[in-house]
Amino acid sequence: MAHDTPTLEATKRERLGSRYAKRERAKGRLPAVIFGHGSEPAHVTIDEKAMALALKHGSHVVNVKFGSTTETCLVKDLQFGYLGDNVIHVDLARVNLDEVVTVNVAIHFVGVPELAKKPGNIATHDLAQLEVRCKVRDIPEDIRIDLSVAMTGMTFTVGEIKLPAGVTAAVPAETVVCRIQTVTEEATGEAAAPTEAASAPEVITAKKDEKAEGAPKA
Amino acid sequence: MSLMPKRVKYRKQQRGKMKGNATRGNYVSFGEYGLQALETYWVTARQLDAGRIAAQHFLRRQGKIFIRVFPDKPISKKPLETRMGTGKADVEYWAAVVKPGTILFEIAGVPEELAKQALARIAYKMPIRCRFVGRRVAV
Repeated sequence: MAHDTPTLEATKRERLGSRYAKRERAKGRLPAVIFGHGSEPAHVTIDEKAMALALKHGSHVVNVKFGSTTETCLVKDLQFGYLGDNVIHVDLARVNLDEVVTVNVAIHFVGVPELAKKPGNIATHDLAQLEVRCKVRDIPEDIRIDLSVAMTGMTFTVGEIKLPAGVTAAVPAETVVCRIQTVTEEATGEAAAPTEAASAPEVITAKKDEKAEGAPKA
Repeated sequence: MSLMPKRVKYRKQQRGKMKGNATRGNYVSFGEYGLQALETYWVTARQLDAGRIAAQHFLRRQGKIFIRVFPDKPISKKPLETRMGTGKADVEYWAAVVKPGTILFEIAGVPEELAKQALARIAYKMPIRCRFVGRRVAV
């Protein structure tokens, strides 16, 4: 947590269910559930804009002020609307700052590798987020990788990423993060026109049909 | 080459309904940026191919294009001036059933501005309203 943990005010949800959750969203309140550490789950609403801002800044941990208490919570899961541009529900897990957790952290790629500057070569990113294990207080906002400096070969693996102190990757070190690919120009136009043989797919049940067709009609 | 399945279980299909929104294939998975459908439609193999070619011509061997939908639905059509009846017509073309939220194309390995321009060219070839999207936040 390189920056200050945002504090969000939560209010208890009196009535549960999709209909009431929808009404809360219309008021600018985001339905959420706080659970974990053996306590009863609490169904709450939080300010939608404040939560969206915290997520935009890469916050994984938020302080939730609920009643007279303030709890440290880890953003465990998000539900998105069908277009994926709005969060419609948040799962918050109670955590201690010294607890070791596994979280996905966004990878931000900076720069272009030397090999990718050659015509026809491109750098494709196999991983957009990295699963890391660390203490809650050590969760990084994001992982910045300067590919122009770090990437010298054809592939860049998880093992080559310089992670902050106290953070370890939860995926095998040989997992490819970024690779150089050579793009071949595909045939277009007349050369790519479908041939007669390829104009109809093979029908798996065709034999049965032929038998049926071959049978004498009454 | 026009997109179509290599093997199918049945030659023809019923039309079906296109209710609701996309619940799968509705976020950017392979590339960094994508083109999201905002309407429901049968997007034909020709339209998808036209989009791919438009983007490839624009990008000129930069970046990688992913087509996230596949036209696996055979659409049959009766010839003109044909009397009704006498069974279901022959397959005319293949289409992908697209619902609001479906990611149609993705682009990887190019800057955002270039991806935006390439996807705008694809959007011109699409029969529906589309929009440019990026990846979702990681948690």
